[in-house]
This record gives sequence, C-alpha cells and structure tokens, in this order.
Amino acid sequence: MRFSVPRYWRERHSYYRLKAAKCLDCGRVTYPYTERCRFCGSSRVVEVELVNEKARLLTYTVIYSAGEGFEDKKPVVIGIVETEESKARLLARITDVDVEELKTGILLEPVLRRINEDGESGLIYYLIAYRPVLKTG
Amino acid sequence: MKPEELVGIVGWGSYIPRYRLPLSEITRVWGFNPEQPRELDVSEKSVAGLDEDSITMGWEAALNALRRAGVNPREIGAVWFGTESKPYAVKPSATVIAEALGITPSTMASDLEFACRAASEAMRISIGAVASGLVKYALVIGSDTAQANPGDVLEYTASSAATAFIIGPSGESAAIFEASYTYVTDTPDFWRRSVSPYPLHGEAFTGEPAYFHHIVGAVKGLMEKTGLKPGDFDYAIFHQPNGKFPVQVARMLGIPPEKVKPGLVTPMIGNSYNSSALIGLSKVLDEAKPGSRILLAPFGSGAGSDAYSIVVTDKVVEKRGRAPRVVDYLARKKIIDYAFYAKSRGLIKRIG
Repeated sequence: MRFSVPRYWRERHSYYRLKAAKCLDCGRVTYPYTERCRFCGSSRVVEVELVNEKARLLTYTVIYSAGEGFEDKKPVVIGIVETEESKARLLARITDVDVEELKTGILLEPVLRRINEDGESGLIYYLIAYRPVLKTG
Repeated sequence: MKPEELVGIVGWGSYIPRYRLPLSEITRVWGFNPEQPRELDVSEKSVAGLDEDSITMGWEAALNALRRAGVNPREIGAVWFGTESKPYAVKPSATVIAEALGITPSTMASDLEFACRAASEAMRISIGAVASGLVKYALVIGSDTAQANPGDVLEYTASSAATAFIIGPSGESAAIFEASYTYVTDTPDFWRRSVSPYPLHGEAFTGEPAYFHHIVGAVKGLMEKTGLKPGDFDYAIFHQPNGKFPVQVARMLGIPPEKVKPGLVTPMIGNSYNSSALIGLSKVLDEAKPGSRILLAPFGSGAGSDAYSIVVTDKVVEKRGRAPRVVDYLARKKIIDYAFYAKSRGLIKRIG
C-alpha cells in the first residue's frame, strides 16, 4: 500500500497528534477530525488531540499475510482501541508486543512509530501506534 | 557572570527500545572468542524494533523531557537533533519531532552531525542561545540506531537509544551548568562515507589518540578554566563505547570508579552513540541528590570531546516522577536472538 504524499502532509496532525473532533452537542469524539460529528451529525465540533491519552485494547487481529509494503514487517498487529478519557475509538497499529501477550482490555499508550515507507527512496510515514503501558517503579 | 550559570536542564528524558541482543549471540554466529563481551564489559545491546528509528526514539525521549520540564511546547525556540543514523540523508529529523510534539512553527530546527557528540555540541550551542535570550528553551536530542557491519567488532556494541534535554533558564532547572569546554582535532578514528551503510574505524586510532586524548583534553581544559579538581565531582559520566573505557579514562584523570558506575549504562544496552554519555546523565539525574556536582564528558569520533560541570538543584526531586526513568526502560526488555535482530535491523534481503 502506498500513502499519498499530499494526503499524508495534509493529515499529519491526525497521524502525529491524533487530532480529533469533539462534539459540543452530544459530547462524543470522532477520530480522525471531521467537520461534522459522526454520531449526531452536529457541525458544532471543536478540535482535540488524543495523543496524551492512554487507551484500552477493544479488539485486535494479527495479520500473517501482510499486504504490499508490509511484507518485511510480518506479523502485523492491528487493533481497535478506546481512549481512556475521551472514549474515542480508533484503528491503530499495536506494537512492542508478542502475539501471545495480546489480550482485549489491556492498557496501552501512544507512541510515534515508523509505520511504512515508499521503497528505499520515497517518503517515510510516521504514525501514532499503541504499545502496552511501560511499567514504572 | 558566565553564560553557563544562566542556563540549566529544565527537563530530561530517555528512551531504550525493548529488544536486547545478548553479545553471546554475536560470538555464536560469527565464531568470535566468547570472552570478548566480558573484556568489553557489555552483556547485552538494545535493538530498535522494526517500526523504530532515530526519529521515533528521539520523539519519546523528548516527550519525557517535556513532561519533566512542564513547559508549553510552543515556548521552545530551538530543536536540535544529534544523530549519525538519520532516516533521511536530506530532510530534517528535527522538524518531524517538532511537529509531532506541537512545537512548530515558531522554532529553529535542524540535525547536527559529529559522530557521537553532535547532541553534546547542540547542548553547548543551546547554552549560548538561552543565555543570550535568543530563545527561552531549547530541545536537545541525541538519538541513534547505531550501524555496524555484520561480523565487525563494532557489532558487539552498536545499539539503539535516545536522550533529550530541555535547556532553559537556571531558575527553573533541575541542574545548572557551571562551566563547559570543548576540545576538537581532525583525527581519523572512525568514519562513514555517504554511500556506505556501515562505518569503518582506524583500528589503532580509536583508543589513545581519539577517545582518551580528547576526553582528557576537554576535562583538563574545564578544570583549568574553573579551578575545579577531580575530588570536587560526585559523579563522572564519560562517553561509553564499552564498559571499560569510561573507567580507564576516569583513572587517568584521578577519578575513582565508584563515581563512574552510577552513570554507566553501556554494560546493559551497548553504545547508543549520541545517547551514550547523555543517557548516563539522564540516569544520574534520576538518582542524584540536590547539590551534587556532575562531570559530563561526551566524545565523538573525528574527533572531539566536551566537558561540563553541572550542579543538581532541589527542583530535580519534583521533576523526577513526571516521566519514566532510565531504570524503567532498562527493566523492560525482551531477549532476542541474532535472527530476530537481523530482521529488525534490515539485515535480511527479501525479493518480491
């Protein structure tokens, strides 16, 4: 899969900082940012960032037969996570985890990762992924 | 007043990837003498994952430094990224990190290169920039996914980690610069041409004329400039290409090994190049008592060394708990074999 360079640039704050839309009417958060609330249709939305929120793993899949551009990265883990405070749901790469450690409900934290690149000469694409929360003493 | 005294470390933070390659795996695969890792005093090296590079590691170290600093990212007026493993030959790494941390657009940003001491040069530059009032805060990052030719002796220690500092006014700082000094010459101890994926090293040059000569030159210069003596320092942190050199250079300077050990991280993770000495400082700031005086002397091939005298303040205590410590990252580890390492570092070539 190839990203589009202009699109990646245009959407970089969604990728780097998880820019999302918080609805002033129903209070729910839509990721990525849209001008209209995905849940109630209101256009009264404000921009928020989810990059400082931890998240729970709701569900996941392990891709053993990865598509074009991801052949070197197998197995690839993709999950749907729900952020702790905003309760926003997003599809994200799950990283720094062994397949046998994966369990729904585990607490994750966002990290910037190098998700893909356009061959050896093209652009490198950095996106927020999630990893199990680092234990601190 | 000297410029250093107006400036300090407002926030600090590091990052170590979770994967560790025991050096015994390298001796096993290449048929090296199994005693060599012990002679280097390095047991394992940290290895960046498939989705990591110097930008992603630098991002996490910088995020930790920002958390400890507690400053608005938009107040940062310079992002200086020291590395010798830039993901792009041309396109700054500093702007990716600045954008991802919400620092852009009103900031300076660039990548610096001087083998393992580019980030230290950034630290000296930031002292001038903050002391002059040009910027309020500067973000200095040292981050490397160090390369080594497979089967070369460098492969034992070339590792991955990152460290970052928010440099700012001394009144807000966890540690204040007291003095700094730099010593550089043109020395061909280690280099990598632009077309080469791996560095070469001039065997006979790496020790005496490079590492030891420049670090001793910088530290002696600092001591002459300040009147400080080896006994005035509670901690001594040197560039750490292996576990032995820092202890040896300390001995040459009349500094006992117990002052070196707290900042010695290389035995557990290898040589993280631009983060090598700086992660030692990060670990010491995680632990040191207010009032402690730290000698910091990074080194970079080519060659040069900086010496700093840094005094820890009371503010270090409240800032510590705001981000993971170096020991937290040291404790998070997954042992890997040479095959996993080869896959992670792109040493396997597939077709189709």
